[in-house]
Amino acid sequence: MSKKVALITGITGQDGAYLAELLLSKGYEVHGIKRRSSLFNTNRIDHLYQDPHVDGRNFILHYGDLTDSTNLIRVIQQVQPDEVYNLAAQSHVAVSFDSPEYTANCDALGTLRVLEAIRILELTRKTRVYQASTSELYGLVQETPQTEKTPFYPRSPYAVAKLYAYWITVNYREAYGMFACNGILFNHESPVRGETFVTRKITRALARIKLGLQDCLYLGNLDAKRDWGHARDYVQMMWLMLQQDEPDDYVIATGVQHSVREFVQAAAAELGIGVRFEGTGVDEKGYDANTGQCIVAVDPRYFRPTEVETLLGDPTKAREKLGWVPKTTFESMVKEMVRADLRDAERDNLCKTSGFKTFDFHE
Amino acid sequence: MKSALIIGISGQDGAYLSRLLLDKGYRVAGTSRDAQMASMRNLKALDVQERVRVHSASSTDFRGLWQVLEKERPDEIYNLAGQSSVGLSFEQPMETFESVAASTLNILELLRLLGRPVRFYNACSSECFGNTDQPATEDTPFRPRSPYAVAKAASFWAVANYREAYGMFACNGILFNHESPLRPTRFVTRKIIAAACRIAAGSGERLELGNTAVVRDWGWAPEYVDAMWRMLQTGTPRDFVIATGQSFSLMDFVARAFAALGLDHTQHVDTRQDLLRPADIQVSRADPSRARDILGWRAAKAMPQVVDAMVACERERLSAQEIRT
Repeated sequence: MSKKVALITGITGQDGAYLAELLLSKGYEVHGIKRRSSLFNTNRIDHLYQDPHVDGRNFILHYGDLTDSTNLIRVIQQVQPDEVYNLAAQSHVAVSFDSPEYTANCDALGTLRVLEAIRILELTRKTRVYQASTSELYGLVQETPQTEKTPFYPRSPYAVAKLYAYWITVNYREAYGMFACNGILFNHESPVRGETFVTRKITRALARIKLGLQDCLYLGNLDAKRDWGHARDYVQMMWLMLQQDEPDDYVIATGVQHSVREFVQAAAAELGIGVRFEGTGVDEKGYDANTGQCIVAVDPRYFRPTEVETLLGDPTKAREKLGWVPKTTFESMVKEMVRADLRDAERDNLCKTSGFKTFDFHE
Repeated sequence: MKSALIIGISGQDGAYLSRLLLDKGYRVAGTSRDAQMASMRNLKALDVQERVRVHSASSTDFRGLWQVLEKERPDEIYNLAGQSSVGLSFEQPMETFESVAASTLNILELLRLLGRPVRFYNACSSECFGNTDQPATEDTPFRPRSPYAVAKAASFWAVANYREAYGMFACNGILFNHESPLRPTRFVTRKIIAAACRIAAGSGERLELGNTAVVRDWGWAPEYVDAMWRMLQTGTPRDFVIATGQSFSLMDFVARAFAALGLDHTQHVDTRQDLLRPADIQVSRADPSRARDILGWRAAKAMPQVVDAMVACERERLSAQEIRT
């Protein structure tokens, strides 16, 4: 049997990188779509790169964009994928309040463009589609924990766009018999999580505070509760969904919930820092228990016009039907993230003390 | 004098809403994608064309809409624009998204930017519910089954989110099917009425239909635009299901139409598989209690009265044509 061909949109992102690694290890020929940028944006997949001048490559990148139908149709026609993983998106909730139209264009219409490309190219019988849906769909949660049957209540332009993407995927499955699945993924993190997402922002900042590269970490809603899993575990499930006999939608979560404050404490503990929280609301502050230095503070500009207070997934269906269970615990995930960010901070510190300039990469 | 802007004024609901608001003493303006080229036959049919100002603007064009808002400074905006055919949405899913979901977002963003206390009505649709085992209320989860319905669901949630995030006075009317003589003939109700009337006049043709087992809640459009207006007159912005509360099968509709003309429908109707949609809603039922309790609104006409009224208008139209020819 010839090797399977997969196409990943959003290959330069956290999930794209982990998924590409997984599929390559399974013998797939992996194609990815990346946006053109004046800056290099492939650092998460550098280790998978193969010189285009050698024969028999199984990792191939294409320039492209979910906002360009012509491009998607051409790439999909060229690649003739057995599986498409649509991971590309404007994936930041807070940014979606600032750029709602762009978010709708990429996340909602982008998904439709992928599905339409497959339909136009008459690949609906051949190509299986994974759509990256999100726990943000539950927003103002209607029940806890959330399952595949829990009604949606989106609370941001991001979630509204993803709601469109979810239902249009269901619709193309029902209308045209496509093998198309939604993975409703709860928050999933890793050392390569984007630096502006709260978990990575915390581990990175605390590591830098530890080394004296930064003074204070400013956060929004410390009470927000999330179900955090490891991205490496979650990409397994994306693949598993497309190997089933029937297409379906699945909640992927750990079933365990922590607050942002607890995440801070877990990450700090990993660095040997005890954090003492005092005060409430916007005046709440976290102090280093040893030095008394204020290392965590609330900045209202990180509040959202509409907050999602709590998310907790029930992954029973994925466990029973896909045999999927997350392997990484919350504690070991936090540990892995902190270790990686501490290494980066140490490198920066070393460069600085040796007289070299490093970037601080502020938000 | 209050002023209203109707985005998508040239359609069925835009025309009836124009008439209603004019009767209430509003200054009424509207938009159409191309005001010069559009036929405005609905506004003409209701004799209101001379009394409304129509601007050319696409609801996906931020600048164009902004200019219209600057000129008109409306107190109320009714968003009725958008590709409105479920069947067509399977062929034109992109355009459907643009005209239904992206345009709603565009209007909301414009209102957010301008920051004026404008009240906003958004035309949502019973299609969002999909099949309803129980009569749908405002709390029934959506289960859309067409690109049209998916786009409408997205527009519904965008309105809800902007209301909650920015405190806007914005309401979704989840309208079930509402008919009138102004429906174009590509809508099945008008297609049935028109064919039945021609058959009654001796055309000898056959009426071809897709799935006649589908169950719908059909109301009278002139009544439904009154519900839209009432939504914007309350103290708190909310979403409302607007329907008659009575559902019938399409075959019931057909039977009533032919019976109103003294005909037996079984003698004139064929069903064809190729007219079926890729995915369709079988049963659509509604519970409009909230509209009754809060808006004091209730549908006077249900399907049989809607059919009778449409048949009466169609016959007038046919005899007027005969006189002309």
